[in-house]
Amino acid sequence: MTTFERLNEIFCEVFDNDTIELKPEMTANDVDGWDSLSHVNLILAIETKFAITFSQKELLTFRNVGDLYKSIEKRLESRK
Amino acid sequence: MGLQGKVAMRFISQALERINYTFGDIERNSNRFANALLELGLSDGDIVFSFLPKTPEQFFSFLGILKVKAIAGTLFSSFGEDALLDRLGDSKAKCLITRKSSMRKINRIRNRLPDLKYIILIDITGHESPDILSYSQLTQNAPDVYDVPQTGPETPSVLHYTSGSTGKPKGVLHLHRSILHQRSTSKEILSLTDNDIYWCTADQGWVTGTSYGIIGPWSLGVTQVHFAGGYDPALWFEILQREKITVWYTAPTALRMLMQQSDEFFTDYDLSNLKYIFSVGEPLNPEIVHWSRRVLKKEIFDTWFQTETGGIMISNRTGLTVKPGSMGKPVGSVEAAIIEDDGTIQFQDKRGNLCLKPGWPSMFSTYLNNREAYESKFKNGFYYSGDTAYTDEEGYYWFTGRSDDVINTAGHLISPFEIESALLEIPEIAESGVIGAPDDLLFEKVVAFVALKENQEWTKDLELKIRIKVSNKVSTIATPQEIIVVDSVPKNKSGKIMRRVLKAIYKGEDPGDLSTMED
Repeated sequence: MTTFERLNEIFCEVFDNDTIELKPEMTANDVDGWDSLSHVNLILAIETKFAITFSQKELLTFRNVGDLYKSIEKRLESRK
Repeated sequence: MGLQGKVAMRFISQALERINYTFGDIERNSNRFANALLELGLSDGDIVFSFLPKTPEQFFSFLGILKVKAIAGTLFSSFGEDALLDRLGDSKAKCLITRKSSMRKINRIRNRLPDLKYIILIDITGHESPDILSYSQLTQNAPDVYDVPQTGPETPSVLHYTSGSTGKPKGVLHLHRSILHQRSTSKEILSLTDNDIYWCTADQGWVTGTSYGIIGPWSLGVTQVHFAGGYDPALWFEILQREKITVWYTAPTALRMLMQQSDEFFTDYDLSNLKYIFSVGEPLNPEIVHWSRRVLKKEIFDTWFQTETGGIMISNRTGLTVKPGSMGKPVGSVEAAIIEDDGTIQFQDKRGNLCLKPGWPSMFSTYLNNREAYESKFKNGFYYSGDTAYTDEEGYYWFTGRSDDVINTAGHLISPFEIESALLEIPEIAESGVIGAPDDLLFEKVVAFVALKENQEWTKDLELKIRIKVSNKVSTIATPQEIIVVDSVPKNKSGKIMRRVLKAIYKGEDPGDLSTMED
């Protein structure tokens, strides 16, 4: 499973919605229920499932799913 | 009424695109939905729920349901499956209007909802099956004229569920006569007139969203703005400015979040059209009133009411000097009082139960299927609201708290019982106790105490499991902001969770009398 597919799976679990099909340009407006409260759950889920930690500064730079994905990839790369 | 061509709703998408709907459009679209419901055999007394965010269909369907004398229930769009099951199950709802994205939740509970005959999805083009129907297919060929039957004032109209500190949420049923109070308070308290552009930010899942986001303003022919997106300071202020909003009804948490912006942020916006800001849902801190006067150069008027009251009962308003932090004074013919549990009426400065003399037009008619709970709210000739308050020498009311354990977080009432039940479904958790703790932003935050089963350890995985469980079972807003692991949760000898002890522990205060606590 690719990182993007795993990310998609996490979105489905956090937002309890099987119909989510992530695309890099998607924002909170495109995913039902993605608000400030569920965002905390999303970040915690990503950190836990990928065993990574985002910095506070980094969290503020995410504009869309693509940014989030790139950051995960970067963190995973740096572990290699 | 001559309003056919007047704009009833400026619907603003998340990308700030505007679609105008005239009163004529609203009438035709709600007529189509009314006719579609009749085609499905739904009418008098049937309960039809919507589980939608702000979408035009939310408004069309709500009015269509009322037109056929069915009962319109609305569900907060972030509810989880347990919250949905409790409400749809207790009410024996026959029809649910929702979206595809909610079907994962619905499918998990569908077999426990034998009365639910139809699910109408607003985002599919054709019917999926005999019971999963397309909103657009249902309505596109339905006639846009409908002869609304004579509807008496005692006809049931709107159903909202409200949380208590024990047991399941209760279905608060209102009658068509409620419109009298919603209309009069929209006019006299919110000061709405023909020329206003009004924006109520409340979700239609809550009573403010229906009483003052649909019924009251439209009964006066007022143009409303509805925004599909959530809280965003820049977008909200863009809307206030661009749409030339004149009256804005919002919530203290949103205002507190706005206070976190720099003062310079607000200088970019022209709010010269904005005459009044009203607030509801939680107590309005004096700091917000002072901030608004200083930064926005506007007065904010706090209002107080409940799901059960159906409309504003106590409020600040124009012509009444605002005492920052006060709820204001009773409205119109509403008779309020501060009363002891034994029925003694308290006068000035004494804290007690905030009570109302029954008889206001928008008073709820019952708790659905729970007459006993309804009757328990009326004692000594008064309705006991569950809030506590006191009055000052000038007759202003001041909120002091709740007389039960219901949590008010960001204006949403949450039952600790519902969260505790969801937590106990997690295999690693042996006991749970949930309280509301003071919070600078949310008014109260959800704090969960959990005792783990033997050999279980606290991990980040378990924290995630808890957060997602509560979010998906109850609601995102019910997700604990803090989780505290304890050896055991204090209970009395009959096994009832002693939340007052948990609150004292959390605040570092003396828990008081512990004689009833189990060993």
